[in-house]
Amino acid sequence: MSKRDESVSPNRSPSAAAPAEGPSEIARRRFLATVLRLSGGAIVLLAGVPGAGGATGEAPARASGEGYDWSEHRYAYLIDTQRCIGCGSCVRACAAENGVPDGFFRTWVERYVVGLEDSHVDSPNGGKDGFPPIQASFVATKHFFVPKMCNHCRETPCIQVCPVGASYRTKDGVVMVDGERCIGCAYCVQACPYGSRFINPVTHTAEKCTWCYHRITKGLRPACVEVCPTGTRMFGDMKREDDPVRQAIEHDRVAILQGHLLTEPQCFYLNLDREVR
Amino acid sequence: MEHARHVFRALLLLAAVMAAISLGRGFLVPRSFGLHGPYRFDNVAEQMAVRPPRHGGAASCTPCHAANAGKRLAGAHRTVSCEICHAPLALHVADGRRSAAMPIDASFTLCARCHRKILGRPERFPQVVLEQHLREQGAQGPIQGRVCLDCHDPHSPKL
Repeated sequence: MSKRDESVSPNRSPSAAAPAEGPSEIARRRFLATVLRLSGGAIVLLAGVPGAGGATGEAPARASGEGYDWSEHRYAYLIDTQRCIGCGSCVRACAAENGVPDGFFRTWVERYVVGLEDSHVDSPNGGKDGFPPIQASFVATKHFFVPKMCNHCRETPCIQVCPVGASYRTKDGVVMVDGERCIGCAYCVQACPYGSRFINPVTHTAEKCTWCYHRITKGLRPACVEVCPTGTRMFGDMKREDDPVRQAIEHDRVAILQGHLLTEPQCFYLNLDREVR
Repeated sequence: MEHARHVFRALLLLAAVMAAISLGRGFLVPRSFGLHGPYRFDNVAEQMAVRPPRHGGAASCTPCHAANAGKRLAGAHRTVSCEICHAPLALHVADGRRSAAMPIDASFTLCARCHRKILGRPERFPQVVLEQHLREQGAQGPIQGRVCLDCHDPHSPKL
């Protein structure tokens, strides 16, 4: 009887119904499309706006914690490879300070033995027990140690690939993992070009160097810097003008690892050889 | 009127979906997520308090061990923090009181980590091949079992 009944089965008499049905059919289609678009937009809006559903909207301007304001710091790390003697104190201190499981490393030391013809790199147990004597099978013209760790990149591949927002970079420049959110998918472990992450065999979540966040926020230095006997490892604050690390980064010839990846590492190297990746 | 009912139904459905989403979000998304970026902001404070610092630094040893601390600062090991050869402070002190004995490693291995002559070490850094060093110093008898501490004081190693 009504247009509605006819439109339910428009195929019954297409030729007859078409002229009469036309406008209503198009209007309905348009209406449905609009509703779909609007609802889609609403979902995006709801999902995207921080605190739209969950948080109550109190936004603390500074990091929680007694007497520490993360906006007053921006940390950087400097490694002078010429000073490193390969004692592995940093690796042991890191493991003791952070409870790093055996066979995994938040920081490690590599030994490079380089000649014109060939080169050799080793890092037995991350350098934790020091390095054994070795004989190069080629004419070694230079040899040195290079401490490695998380570069706390400004443009991190590891944070970009995290599907649950467990990896993040703080305002003071430290890349950390929220173990409560981490699902252990290990995308970040694969994404990190420096191999700085691992999946903790006990917690099954991603773990990495935090520059000893529990120490630096109390005004202490990271454990690896604290124990380094030769001053190879230096930790500094880029927001302090008289900071020696900042001075060195500002005025000296510093290098970064894998600069072509544009990750903007905040871990800088002095006297880095081209052989080091 | 018929058309109005269509619109009403669709809007009702939309409202129900939106309510379900925001309710679900409230349950699933942690409270502090998104305050400073797409992460749980509360974790920053958690990381700050993840554990008390275990290394105290060389200065933390001085109050009880002034003699050795002073000797170390006057000698060639002035830059070698106590905890490098011993162990983190937390192993020895808890709540400001001595909780356990500090390990003392008198082995050759301990000194060898820094001073054994190996490829990789800067040439100007003092390093030895134990056998060669003992022969040079005119040592008699077997090399096996000899340790650096037989002759050197680790707190001030220069003889």
